[in-house]
Amino acid sequence: MTTHDSALDLAQPSPVKWRQYAVTVGRIALAVLLLVAWKLGADRAGPIYVADPILVFDRIVTDTMSGELIRHIYVTLRLSAIGFAIGCFFGIVLPFLLRPLPRLTNAIEPYIMASVGIPKYALIPLFILWFGIDDAPKLWLVGLLVFYPVFIAIFAGIRNVDRRLINMARVLGASEAMISREVIWNSLQPLFFAALKIALPRAVSATIIGEFLVGNEGLGFMIEYSRQNFDTTGVFTGIVVATVLVLLINAVLVRIDHRLNAWRPTDRDMEL
Amino acid sequence: MNAQPLLEVQGLGKRFASRAGRDSSLWVIRDLSFSVADGEFLTIVGPSGSGKTTLLNMIAQIDVASGGEVHFQSESAPINDPKALNPGLSCRIGYVTQEDNLLPWRTTLQNVLFPLVVQGRLNDETRARAEMLIRTVGLAGFENHYPHELSGGMRKRASLIRTLVYDPPVILMDEPFGALDAQTRTVLQEDLLKLWNLGRKTIIFVTHDIGEAIALGDRTLVLTRAPARVAGEHKIDLPRPRNIHGLLTDPKFGELYQRIREQVQ
Repeated sequence: MTTHDSALDLAQPSPVKWRQYAVTVGRIALAVLLLVAWKLGADRAGPIYVADPILVFDRIVTDTMSGELIRHIYVTLRLSAIGFAIGCFFGIVLPFLLRPLPRLTNAIEPYIMASVGIPKYALIPLFILWFGIDDAPKLWLVGLLVFYPVFIAIFAGIRNVDRRLINMARVLGASEAMISREVIWNSLQPLFFAALKIALPRAVSATIIGEFLVGNEGLGFMIEYSRQNFDTTGVFTGIVVATVLVLLINAVLVRIDHRLNAWRPTDRDMEL
Repeated sequence: MNAQPLLEVQGLGKRFASRAGRDSSLWVIRDLSFSVADGEFLTIVGPSGSGKTTLLNMIAQIDVASGGEVHFQSESAPINDPKALNPGLSCRIGYVTQEDNLLPWRTTLQNVLFPLVVQGRLNDETRARAEMLIRTVGLAGFENHYPHELSGGMRKRASLIRTLVYDPPVILMDEPFGALDAQTRTVLQEDLLKLWNLGRKTIIFVTHDIGEAIALGDRTLVLTRAPARVAGEHKIDLPRPRNIHGLLTDPKFGELYQRIREQVQ
């Protein structure tokens, strides 16, 4: 936008634009405020308890240069992606398999819902016992944590599809497979993306927690290793990197959502 | 009717299962009988709540009858057996529902092509037909708009040609113009008559608007309040092609209107 345009905007401020502008300024101000608070807090609490943000930034730069950080990020992202893919796959496929079997669905639904309540992180010791200390126990953890939100969203989505659209498609000659693919799958996109916004960050944090306990690579290992060596700056570095990763993943997801679901009538400038 | 009926409804009944707190189940339709000849434009009027939509749902086989018989050509519809339903009778019965039921994630053109895609009949010829229909009903320029970007009248047109595009021999219409303003409705009624003159399909058109029933139909059935049955039958011997505006001043129209009015409770 040229300066000429912005001058025009100021001359005739449209309330919506002005509000968006205010939100952006507010966001930046809040970020600065948080950084200042972090710095002040670090100075007061001392380097053992809270790392200095400037040192954390330095550490990120040096570890990136040495390739160490990249390696940990790669290991964590790789596991998150595989675990996510497995959990997501079953979360999508299972409800579709259950769709033509309403009686079976009714019978097992309470058990599925009850299993939602099991604290998955508490299963890590069992996973280690059953699946060893390689990637397997971590994949189980990530897969389960991703599976539930996706499964519940798809399950609810299938139930809530507009019957009239399904009937219409049937009258037009669509087979059940086409109805699943076209009517149901598209109808539940909004719910599916809402679930992904929960599941994707979960996949990353579950991987990190898995790495605390098993293995000698990844961001989780890096954080835990730093803690054991009283390297608070290392711990903070890991947390900051993990947070940035999750934010980046979410930003990509929001982009995809906007692209794929442009047909939705509501204008959604909320990007959470 | 001297012609062999294409569709025959005999003693049709429909009741919905009783809910807790109600003694007996509610019959929406009971002992309903009529027949439709090939190429006929039949209109059905009745008070709201007289089971008109339910009737069409049963003919289209997206809902199951509780009693009676429905014959289409030589096949009969299943009774009390929802699993045996064949919605749309293998694309031989088209259904323009009260709501447009367009797929919100498909553009106008994609919605119109949808039946051709699912029937595996999308080719250059059918695509050209779809484009011709889009132009005929004045949707040119809106092919790439999503349903929420169209007006109510445009959505109605899109849903109408979505059914016309695959050319089913019978089309059911459930108050397709009910929610529109009078002007748009007249335009669409004229469009429909034009399209019907092109293809001469069998149409069963349900409405609560007596004027519309007379203006469009060859014959009008009047239904009673629930449980619905036929209260009267009127041959509409107005000449075609018809001019919707001109009809209103026709004395024959007024006479028919009066007769039907008295039967609609």
